[in-house]
Amino acid sequence: MNPNKPSYHEMAQGNHLNLLSCPKCKMVCSDELEYCPRCDSELAIRDESSLQKAWAFLITAAILLIPANIYPISIITKQGRVTHDTIFSGILHTIHLGMIPIAIILFIASILVPWLKIIGLATYLSAISFNLPLSKRFLMKGFHIIEWIGRWSMLDLCVISLTVALVNMGQLLDAKPGIAATPFALVILFTQLAAKVLDTRLLWDRMENKHDSNRTTKNS
Amino acid sequence: MSDSDTPKLQSIILCQSCDVAVSRQALPANVRALCPRCHSALYAKPFCTINGVLALCITALLLYIPANFYPVLELHFFGSIRTSTVWEGAYSVIKQGYYIVGIAVALGAIVAPAALLVSILLQVLIVKHGLHKPILRKYFRSILKKHLLIKQFSMPEIYVISMFVTAFNLGDFADIYMGIGTFCYVMLFILMLFLQREYNIDYMWEQLHESQ
Ligand SMILES: [Zn+2]
Ligand SMILES: [Zn+2]
Repeated sequence: MNPNKPSYHEMAQGNHLNLLSCPKCKMVCSDELEYCPRCDSELAIRDESSLQKAWAFLITAAILLIPANIYPISIITKQGRVTHDTIFSGILHTIHLGMIPIAIILFIASILVPWLKIIGLATYLSAISFNLPLSKRFLMKGFHIIEWIGRWSMLDLCVISLTVALVNMGQLLDAKPGIAATPFALVILFTQLAAKVLDTRLLWDRMENKHDSNRTTKNS
Repeated sequence: MSDSDTPKLQSIILCQSCDVAVSRQALPANVRALCPRCHSALYAKPFCTINGVLALCITALLLYIPANFYPVLELHFFGSIRTSTVWEGAYSVIKQGYYIVGIAVALGAIVAPAALLVSILLQVLIVKHGLHKPILRKYFRSILKKHLLIKQFSMPEIYVISMFVTAFNLGDFADIYMGIGTFCYVMLFILMLFLQREYNIDYMWEQLHESQ
């Protein structure tokens, strides 16, 4: 890396140059414009309210994660015997059957990803709301990872839908979704929404301000 | 360019993730510029082989039909045979009263991939033939604005993995067969993967700007 490069606190931001980028088409416009000249979307320097919205979605998702985990997500009938499986017991089942790779895939998609998403987003939002002194680059990297892995939780729901469609032989062999399926789907929806509405630039503004105030005291 | 501001603004890029201002540099193909501050992806060469995208898109649309018409999995259990298409899978949970789950599966595996393909097809056709017509420009703009949302809902890759997970899971006590539907769906997923590598939304936006 070039040592003469400005440190990342000193890099010019769009809002210092009276420029802003269109949220839809990324076109760089003057901050006096109200609508993007290219795609006609509404322009705003920052979406301050997005922080509150993201918190609201995230808290909703965190609450729904409880019923999603304690209630059964699938109900299997085998020769008259009925088993109710939660997400976790379903994975234990797969381990007992010796299907370790499948168990790992399901564990990542249904347990690890939702928890990582909620903890990660909570950290990111806290860093903005409470000015936590965490590495911005690390937070941003984590945020992009969360954006990317979030969809993979849909895996279990797709598996359930196929299983329910195939396994319907009455008392002999039958599979039905359990009540945890709906809250689980909503957890995915709300965490994705939280990540989608958030204006991530707020993080960089907050810490920029803090740094600016340091700089002014040094100069004076 | 009539507007004197435009060249200046076009040479500047603002990072969507952290708002840092970066001057745009010419990039070789298949290289992505990263934000110097937050390391998010900034831009790639806005290049797109329209005819290649069109060919991939039409092939994918053709595959889409058998992928959704033929069963993706077939189960044999003590003489009973059950088959399921992608849609029947989603519908079976809706029938049980799990609307949200069924709609989510249908959206991710069937509706959004189709919408994505149609979106790209229309964009390419308009770029090739109709950007000078104001009405088509208007359509083009509104399609482009919805493109990223559709892309987010489209998850054929997850469905492909879930087919194999289901096959292994049920294979423990029943015989599971994959058929032409499975093959077509996997091919559809692979084609969509290539299509999205070829497709470039920044290029599409620039088409709108240049033909003004
Ligand atoms: Zn725009
Ligand atoms: Zn950045």
